[in-house]
Amino acid sequence: MSVEALIEAAGLEAGYDGLPAVAEVSFTLAAGERLALLGPNGGGKTTILRAVLGELRPLAGTLRVAASCGSVPQTERSRLDYPVSALEVAMMGALSRLPWWRRPGRVDRDAARAALARVGLESLADETFGELSGGQRQRVLIARALVQDARVLLMDEPFTGLDHAAADRLEALIAVLAEEGHGIVIATHDLEQARRWDSVLCVNQRQIAVGPPEQTLDRPVLEATYGGAIVEIPGTGGRAILPPHHHHH
Amino acid sequence: MQRGLVEVLILAVPAGLLGTWIVLRGLAFFAHAVGTAAFPGLVLADGLGFAAPLGAFGAALLFTGGNAALGRGRDRERDSVVALVLVGCLAGGVILASDVFGSGANVETLLFGSLLLVDGGDIALAAVAAAATIFATALAGRRWLAHGFDPGFISSPRQAALLDAALLGLIALTSVAALSVVGALLVSALFVVPAATARLLTRRMRSWQAASVALVAAEGTVGLWLSAKTDAPPGATIACVAGAAFAAVALGQAIARLPRPALVATGTLVALALLVGGCGQPGSGDDGKLAVVATTTQIGDWVREVGGGAVAVDQVLQPNTDPHEYEPRPSDVEAAAGATLVFASGDDLDGWIEQIVSDGGSDATIVDLGAAVPERLPGESSGAEASRYDPHWWHDPRNAEAAVREIGRRLASADPSHRREFERNVSSYLSRLRKLDAGIASCVGSVPAGRRKLVTDHDAFGYFADRYGIDVVGAVIPSQTTQAEPSAKDLSELVGLIEREKVEAVFPESSLSAKVAEAIANQTGAAASYTLYGDTLGPAGSSGATYLGMEAANADSLVRGFTGGRHGCRLRP
Amino acid sequence: MRRAMLEMTLLGLAGGALGCWVVLYELSYAAESLAHSIFPGLVIAAIAGVPLLYGAAPAVVVAALAIAIASRLPGVSREVGVAVVVTTMFGLGALLALSPDSPPGIETLLFGDLLGPADADLAAAALLVLLVAIALRLLHGRLLAAGFDRASTRALGFSPALLDAALLILLAAAIVVAVQGLGNLLVVAVFVGPAATARHLTDRIGPMIALSATIAVLAGLAGLYLSFYAGTAAGASVALAIVAFYLVSLPLGRLWALRPARRAPAGATIV
Repeated sequence: MSVEALIEAAGLEAGYDGLPAVAEVSFTLAAGERLALLGPNGGGKTTILRAVLGELRPLAGTLRVAASCGSVPQTERSRLDYPVSALEVAMMGALSRLPWWRRPGRVDRDAARAALARVGLESLADETFGELSGGQRQRVLIARALVQDARVLLMDEPFTGLDHAAADRLEALIAVLAEEGHGIVIATHDLEQARRWDSVLCVNQRQIAVGPPEQTLDRPVLEATYGGAIVEIPGTGGRAILPPHHHHH
Repeated sequence: MQRGLVEVLILAVPAGLLGTWIVLRGLAFFAHAVGTAAFPGLVLADGLGFAAPLGAFGAALLFTGGNAALGRGRDRERDSVVALVLVGCLAGGVILASDVFGSGANVETLLFGSLLLVDGGDIALAAVAAAATIFATALAGRRWLAHGFDPGFISSPRQAALLDAALLGLIALTSVAALSVVGALLVSALFVVPAATARLLTRRMRSWQAASVALVAAEGTVGLWLSAKTDAPPGATIACVAGAAFAAVALGQAIARLPRPALVATGTLVALALLVGGCGQPGSGDDGKLAVVATTTQIGDWVREVGGGAVAVDQVLQPNTDPHEYEPRPSDVEAAAGATLVFASGDDLDGWIEQIVSDGGSDATIVDLGAAVPERLPGESSGAEASRYDPHWWHDPRNAEAAVREIGRRLASADPSHRREFERNVSSYLSRLRKLDAGIASCVGSVPAGRRKLVTDHDAFGYFADRYGIDVVGAVIPSQTTQAEPSAKDLSELVGLIEREKVEAVFPESSLSAKVAEAIANQTGAAASYTLYGDTLGPAGSSGATYLGMEAANADSLVRGFTGGRHGCRLRP
Repeated sequence: MRRAMLEMTLLGLAGGALGCWVVLYELSYAAESLAHSIFPGLVIAAIAGVPLLYGAAPAVVVAALAIAIASRLPGVSREVGVAVVVTTMFGLGALLALSPDSPPGIETLLFGDLLGPADADLAAAALLVLLVAIALRLLHGRLLAAGFDRASTRALGFSPALLDAALLILLAAAIVVAVQGLGNLLVVAVFVGPAATARHLTDRIGPMIALSATIAVLAGLAGLYLSFYAGTAAGASVALAIVAFYLVSLPLGRLWALRPARRAPAGATIV
């Protein structure tokens, strides 16, 4: 039984003002798959997300996006003082289904409430968006993508700043959504995080490797991704990544 | 003009230097804003009588401080707050100028600059600003540059804040020094545009600074010259010159990237265009006539009638220019400098003529015609337009006669060789005048006394009404000058008045906007299509282009208005 | 007086509503620059005796093109490009308006002529209110979404650039109509003040727009009354009233923000 591919990229190169920020990106995202984009800051994760969204035109290679994508970006400071409620943010997703002369109506409002309920926030629907906690804001943006009927969710560093309880909640939500057939791309720089998903794509200005985490995340790949030394921490069996160091000869 | 030039040349140094920092550090809006914020300070200083730079600097400091207090963060609200503050400053300044101090005419001078406004104090201030800027650039230039790239790098945060505050303060100081020349709204013409133009030419700091200073000096000079030639405010002309220079450099660079043949072709085309369109200086020749200056259009008309071909008349006011609001121009000063006699109307109507004569260093005699007329009505007793006598004395032909006689006497004593001619002209003019007077009296007299009600938006017709038995009922602008802006209160009162007096027509003055009077006519059914000539004659070719024509036209319009359009006055002026 | 109140009401409704988007999209500087740069167009139209719109429209196009070109030049940032173009055009307008050959009364272009609106002006203001109402109703959802998260508009299926253009065109039209009553220098007040004031008093876009329009009308009428009773210049009084309302809302807004938070209980349902 073949699973439908929601995104297919081959040799993708994308960047700004004609200069590539990331290259050699090749992967597929299947329905129900959770893909982690792993790499250092500035390594090209966000660039890939923007290319998938259609904001950036590929400079080389191919990119086929067969389904609608919902964006769950990092919440910047400016959005915290926007005069909207959580419900109104969720309702924004309905715009993808409406022609420009139609406004979101009762049906869309109900869909938004339902989406908020699915992410566990129906009681906070009328709260100002900026007054919610970081984790709650993430979930509101996920609700927006759900209202959009997006098959693919693109999440940029969703776990940043979340406490353990909120992080667990988010992880559980992602698992449920994957089970329902959504494809989910999670950009992260947290190695331990990335291990928990179905596949991982390591990128540092170019794609280093892609595949299931246990097979992909070996030492050479990690070194290439992070450009530094991987050190085994004695006693705990864990690994740590050192920043790149200079060799003095 | 000389003072303005000196000021601009001195200002070129700080304006050019600071301009480079302004462009580099993204302070263009700040520079513009600080000038605008200084405007109410200027109005306050002008009204209360203390030194303009003090008021301006105080306001500018307040603004700079407030700006800093709002913080450097990119707060979503900050843009809006600054925009509101600027609007508030402008509105406050306008209200102070037009309603508190009654100096409405000066608003444009303060906003756009004036050649005649520059005095020794401004030059001194410019010199201080120049010195301070040179000193500061030598000391802090490198750090200002570094802060632009990476605020925390060289200095501690406190040092950085202090240095940046010094930069802002210098910009404020120099802007204030520049206000008299370019006005509150066009400070960017000196501070931003030349530096931007220079940047197109070079990227290296030293040469950029030098080019910027040179450009400010050059553009300022050309702008001032243009201002003197066109009588437009220097701020506006400098802005246009600076913008044109920017466009020329940008265009030139774009063209320079073209292949050689295209370059040569464009070059020759440009050269040809310059030759063909070359500025032709208007020739000025005197050919030995007696040089006389007349302030108002009526006086100009009389002097020409009496003087004939023997006198060269320079008339300051033009038709439909409001004498109360008039700001003297450099060309007026030039004309006064070469004149022997200056005929003025008096009674604070054209008080500015004294400054014109003294500015030009002229030894011309000022003849106050208003002082010699027989019929005098009292003027406004209080307010900004207060004067001992109502200044519109010319609308009574008896006064006109006295004035024309006086003109004849003065011209004859200044140029005895033409005495006979002047006397002939005076007597023939006076006989026409008396005939017109009789004609108007009988025509107006044919209207029943109860219907001779004049509602006009200019109380210029007191003498005319007094002479011919007309009732002046009210005015849209209830004062004898037109400086004050109409307020809603005045309008509403007037509508009530019209309805009570049951008049058939209102008479908007020809040199004012007729829209307000029209609005009243709409509400009360009174006709508003008749125009009267109040402060000045009408333009050449109109019925009111001469004094006699003006009085005849006024009489005709009035009688038509009184009788609901049924008949007028057929008079031959 | 009644006509002035009517015009002020119409301008307030349009300006207050549209102003919310001006503030949320941080277009205050653009609005001010736009108003200043159309000045020469207004002056030329006034001298030629044609309706102001015929002068303003080409001026806007010229200004927009000039700014776009200037900002592309090496070493010229967008802020500097705007400053150069606006200063030059405004200076040109002042040159034309204040030279001795121009007809008197051009000053009303600078400060507005609220008290004597002609029928054409009232009609234009009414048309503007209609246009703004229709446009804002149609575009509301998309304006809200793009202002909130510009990057995601693609995912939602529309282009933010087109929306920006529509907003700017609407703003330009509104400025052209409002400039007759409020004047070139003060027109920006009605687009910025009431919206910024409303922002302090509410956290929702819907109430913000309604509040902003109401405040604009109230401040406008207050300004007219001030002019009526104190005999002050009409346009400037309206501008000051708008600023006054804003200043009053500052402490009010702080009090509002301190109200006890109405949060849901900590244990929200988890999926």
